Amino acid sequence: MTKSYGRVTAIHDVGFTIRAAEILGIIGPNGAGKTTLLECIAGVQAADSGEVTFGTSQSSRCERSAILFYVPDGIAPWPNQSVGWAVDFMLGFFGGRRELYAEVARDLNLDPLLRRTVGALSKGQRKRVLLAAALLAPQPVILIDEPFEGLDLRQSRELEGTLRRHASAGRTLVLSIHQIADAARICDRFVLLSSGNLVAEGTLEELSRAAGNRMGHAPAQDFEEIFLALT
Amino acid sequence: MSSRAWWVLMFLMGPLVGVTFISAARTYAEASGLGGTAGGVGEAFSPLVGIWAPTFSACEIAAAFLLPFVAIRLVSGDRQSGALKLEIQHPMSAFARIAAKALVLLAGWFIALSAPAMAVALWRSYGGSLYWPELATVLAGHVLNAGLTIALAAAAASLVEHPSTAAILTLAVTVGTWIISFIAAVHGGFWERAVDYTPTAMVAQFQHGLVRLDVVLIAATLIVAGLMLGGIWMRLGVPLRRRVAESMVLGALMVAVILPCRLTHQSWDTSENRMNSFSREDERALRQIRKPLGIEAHLAPEDPRRVDLEHRVFSKLRRTLPKVQIHYISATSIGLFEQTNPHYGEIWYKLDGRSLMSRATTAEAVLATIYELAGLKVPEESAEEIFRGHPLAVPPRGAAMVFYLVWPGFIAVLAFISHWRKV
Repeated sequence: MTKSYGRVTAIHDVGFTIRAAEILGIIGPNGAGKTTLLECIAGVQAADSGEVTFGTSQSSRCERSAILFYVPDGIAPWPNQSVGWAVDFMLGFFGGRRELYAEVARDLNLDPLLRRTVGALSKGQRKRVLLAAALLAPQPVILIDEPFEGLDLRQSRELEGTLRRHASAGRTLVLSIHQIADAARICDRFVLLSSGNLVAEGTLEELSRAAGNRMGHAPAQDFEEIFLALT
Repeated sequence: MSSRAWWVLMFLMGPLVGVTFISAARTYAEASGLGGTAGGVGEAFSPLVGIWAPTFSACEIAAAFLLPFVAIRLVSGDRQSGALKLEIQHPMSAFARIAAKALVLLAGWFIALSAPAMAVALWRSYGGSLYWPELATVLAGHVLNAGLTIALAAAAASLVEHPSTAAILTLAVTVGTWIISFIAAVHGGFWERAVDYTPTAMVAQFQHGLVRLDVVLIAATLIVAGLMLGGIWMRLGVPLRRRVAESMVLGALMVAVILPCRLTHQSWDTSENRMNSFSREDERALRQIRKPLGIEAHLAPEDPRRVDLEHRVFSKLRRTLPKVQIHYISATSIGLFEQTNPHYGEIWYKLDGRSLMSRATTAEAVLATIYELAGLKVPEESAEEIFRGHPLAVPPRGAAMVFYLVWPGFIAVLAFISHWRKV
């Protein structure tokens, strides 16, 4: 994928693989192009060039809609409607997984929010609603932009458990994360972005080896050091 | 649809309709009381022009200044809040989505039309006469006008990022159509023909019980084109260059549809007093003229005689004789300084190689000249066909309470309940 905004290249020839039922972290500092990359993959904005393939076949727009679901960061959809309405609308509009509703509502502690309007929620509360929308979506591959943004430490830890359970049940999760520590705890594999370029892709061990090779000494163990070495 | 903008529209519709209805009904009653019987004043006592045109003009104000904000709120709001990024991931096409939004807005407009519907109910309760075809025509005109507003606002809201910019764009187009009306009044010519298709002129035609097929077709084309343009620009995942190309193709298609629409001459006069038509006897006589009739009027665009001639005679003549060719000739826009020209004010009628000149601008005189030129006998006027009018010397009792108190109170309570149920 390549995408420019005028003269600024947001992502340049970034390509990687997503494996079924894994949690893949798109890692990079602010402005690395994580959000642009996810939006181009989901078809929410047009890439200048690039394509998404499922297996070996190039995807049509309909196929993408059937397989991928993207949840942006920092949005407050239908701000005048109640959370209950918004979740119900998402379930009805996208044909979401109603059978998971009770579990997701419990995991994300949605019940106290259901009667409040979306626009009146705090950043963290809104994030919980958006995460619920993501987990209730029918698509097998979920792309979430900054899933931990706005959540406190306890909520972040609880969310990690929730996301892990969904991945274990066969869900593929692609998470854009700028907090290295959060990413290291939850992701199976990582895609490292820096200034719109892909700098590395792999598991923690693979990235550690790559960082070691680059630095010319023993592989680094700390993900923050690995990240700094590679970007 | 339960946005604040829509509740504001609903809240204001009552007082707006109230002002126009009460004022119209009071004037109608005073004129009816002063006039006694309706004989001889005919048109003045037609509820179409006396009551419905002014009452429904409140809808025109609402469509120009309130409805665009409701439409922009619905279309642009999703973009601002980020909901659009979720919605566009659904396989439903952008066109289907914007059509659904337009239908919701139209439904909202129909609900808002319950304010003028109350005026109709009140008028009926006073014992006023109702002629349903003309009332339905007025209503259809305002629905079509709302459709144009919705399409324009939806296109503007999809084209630009911010709702405020979309609102400015929508109002700029509305003001632009008023400027066209002004230019048409001053310069005539092409502008005079173009102005017929502006929302203001279209509504005015419907308010006079006139349904022109070309106007309806062009309005429908503009509505579809506006919504399709909105659909094109709502597809954020489609490259910009492709969206621009699609918009240009849409523009070309729109022009290709509109041009032939202008050639249709079918129209219907649904007014009870046939205010857009000559008498049936005159129409029968005029239809005997098979050869093309040419008229050359030496009158400036702003000359009141020309305005009178156009509205009271030529517009009716075009409906009866679609092949009539009418040309206006003038060197200035107001005609004041052309009075010294001995030919100024002349109206030449040409048929089958013969021509006649007259300076008269009344319908009777014009028709008499045409009959003379065509060698036809002036038809006898049927006494049965004379419209006697429907005078009603009853003041608008209770209307102020209904529109200024009951309506706003009811809407405020409904809005509160709606908000309370959500939270």
